Amino acid sequence: MEFGWNEELEAFRDEVRAFLQEFDTPALRKELANRGEAAQLGPEQTRLREALEDRGWVRMCWPEELGGEGKSQWFQFVMTEEFAKREVPYGSGFGTMVGPAIHRFGTEAQREKYLPGIWANDITLCLGYSEPNAGTDLAALETLAVKDGDDWLINGQKLWTSAADTASHVWLACRTDPDAPKHRGISTFIVPMDTPGISVRPIMTMSGGRTNEVFFEDVRVPSDALIGEVNQGWYIIANALDHERVWIGAGGGLRHIFDRLMAHIREKRPELLEDDVVRRRLVELELDLDVMEGLVLTNASIVASGDTPTMEASMSKIWTSELRYHISNVAMDLLGHEGALTEEADGFAPLGGELERTYRASPIQRFGGGANEVQRDIIARRGLGLPRH
Amino acid sequence: MDTTLSETQRLLRESLRDYLGNEVPFDRIRELEREGGADQALWEYLAGAGFLALPFAEAHGGEGGELTDTAVVLEELTRRACIIPFLETTASALAIARHGDGALADEVVRGVIGGAITIAPALQGSTPANGASPRVVDGALSGERRFVDYGAEVTHHLVEATENGEPGLYLVETAADGVATESLSTIARTPLAHCTYEGAPARRAGGAEALQFLRRAGRALCAVQCLGNAQQALDMTVEYVGMRVQFGRPIGSFQAVQHHCANMATQTLSARFLTYRAVWCVDQGIATDREIAKAKALASRAGTEVTMQAHILFGGIGYTEEYDLHFFSRHGKERALAWGSAEECLRVAADTLDEVQPWQ
Ligand SMILES: Cc1cc2nc3c(=O)[nH]c(=O)nc-3n(C[C@H](O)[C@H](O)[C@H](O)COP(=O)(O)OP(=O)(O)OC[C@H]3O[C@@H](n4cnc5c(N)ncnc54)[C@H](O)[C@@H]3O)c2cc1C
Repeated sequence: MEFGWNEELEAFRDEVRAFLQEFDTPALRKELANRGEAAQLGPEQTRLREALEDRGWVRMCWPEELGGEGKSQWFQFVMTEEFAKREVPYGSGFGTMVGPAIHRFGTEAQREKYLPGIWANDITLCLGYSEPNAGTDLAALETLAVKDGDDWLINGQKLWTSAADTASHVWLACRTDPDAPKHRGISTFIVPMDTPGISVRPIMTMSGGRTNEVFFEDVRVPSDALIGEVNQGWYIIANALDHERVWIGAGGGLRHIFDRLMAHIREKRPELLEDDVVRRRLVELELDLDVMEGLVLTNASIVASGDTPTMEASMSKIWTSELRYHISNVAMDLLGHEGALTEEADGFAPLGGELERTYRASPIQRFGGGANEVQRDIIARRGLGLPRH
Repeated sequence: MDTTLSETQRLLRESLRDYLGNEVPFDRIRELEREGGADQALWEYLAGAGFLALPFAEAHGGEGGELTDTAVVLEELTRRACIIPFLETTASALAIARHGDGALADEVVRGVIGGAITIAPALQGSTPANGASPRVVDGALSGERRFVDYGAEVTHHLVEATENGEPGLYLVETAADGVATESLSTIARTPLAHCTYEGAPARRAGGAEALQFLRRAGRALCAVQCLGNAQQALDMTVEYVGMRVQFGRPIGSFQAVQHHCANMATQTLSARFLTYRAVWCVDQGIATDREIAKAKALASRAGTEVTMQAHILFGGIGYTEEYDLHFFSRHGKERALAWGSAEECLRVAADTLDEVQPWQ
């Protein structure tokens, strides 16, 4: 056992911090604030992204056969953590999710066609999984892809396709064998969003963001749009979703919110710190964050040792998503009525409205990426070996 | 002891529910949230149909009803996410009617019942203001109040202020010289203002007793709003999980989902008892700060936890602006913080832990 960081990682952390010091500029902040959920990166983010590429940090932990350097996962962890502390995203998330899938399951020609574009962010992706009748039960998806000569003909509807309005391509899960058991009749495609027959309708959410509905009407794509074998899609999706789960579990920014809350209280509401109960509530939040980080580190340790976390990943996902709600909820309560103010209440809103924004955006973390109820099933059955009913 | 609604209350609830269902679509609420302001048409209806007169004495032209009748109406308005200063006006006018100056009371209550007068309480809140707390000198009020619900929409403010060091309530016209309101946006997107007074003409409306009544009535009625949000979210959820199919069955048939619903229902019902009892005690004149604070703490938690749990069970659809669930989670959270958050209320209750309560 070892609860500290070795010199190499400490040195790397310093490097990442110095990097962020240089690139986390007011211009970047402004760009991020105005970015919405767009798939494209603005000029400042592109600059940051290119600098990351130059340093080889984007894929440093991937196996060499996937074009990486095969470094220990701890490097990725340290980098993610430092970026999260400053709430700076380090690229468009879906690329880092779909890229490895194409690398692993695609043909040589497909790798050459897509991967350079994905790494350079010329190809930006949205994720076409969910449908009206396929949410938590993703394998129930119905969008149909039918072989037509050499082409595929796609018909159906996707729902909640975030960034569909800005992405260049959609990473699409379709049913290719309606007669097979539902997990065995799905295939994955990569489809340019400007293909005739695709239409996008916006859906606004209570967090203020935008997601979309996407309709496919006789959308014709060539045979090389299919990634992997026909009907192997569920396996590919499950692989990619595992990445997403660890990502949600990483809890980006929650510690940062707590630090900002403490700063606000010290500066503007010092009377609160005279109340022992408030102090205790704050310590409880700190403890909750410690637990979150402990679970994240436990997962990272398992990954770094070459294993795959199962129930640990679910625990981390549950804890972090519940904490996102809990920390904003408790902080708003402690501050009282001022806790309700949004960023538009300029000069009045604590933390520039971040608490109320976090609160409003918290539900999706709890039901998305595998609903927490289902995560608890995973812990009980796969982790603890309890029987199915 | 009888925790059920009276026949009158049932009728009130049903007639209002019918009206709101037909005449106040949620798109109307969306429009008000976007453009700001209160629902003037609804206010006129409430005045015309006698809903504003319920708790006031017949001598002032009121119905002479119970405050719990008003609470039933308020809960129904909350369940439609209505944006009107009903709590604010009712609690303010009652404070003046029951504990204030007689001549002023008659004028104010008649104005309120007719729909011409609306009032926002501007009390000392939990967040310290930057400016001076309001003081009155020679009938002129100066100072600052931080968070005043409907401060820019009402015709009058009822301001907590001191005169010669004595606390009291002072009635100020919003349109008068020396009154400035700055609208602040909240998670609820309902009206809130930061108010400054500079030598605004003010009439004394009551002393320490009126102020105490207003605090208690406001807090108890705000608990009703918290409860209404929780109840609405609960009812919507039960209906939805019974219909939404995943894995070939309604999600409401999963035990995990049923347990969530059972917890939500239990939390809502327990908050209901304490909340309505608090309103009743205010009406009877036997309320204590501690009982009111406990009720509000419980209702605040229900209005928060039940509405946010509803979001989990609704999944993506409940997260959209197009769907109506967010009205209750956003309004529920804002009401949980108004008139004292759960934390603040528990602090109040803790401060009086040694006092004996009326039914002990
Ligand atoms: C803003 C936003 C962005 C999104 N972005 C994308 C995207 O880019 N691409 C994409 O493909 N999808 C996206 N999603 C979809 C997201 O993954 C789904 O919302 C999620 O999978 C839940 O599905 P659902 O909304 O249909 O809820 P449902 O499946 O209807 O589930 C609702 C609730 O039912 C309960 N439940 C369901 N099944 C069970 C069970 N077996 N046991 C116990 N309880 C259960 C849970 O409490 C669950 O939260 C997005 C969603 C939102 C809201």
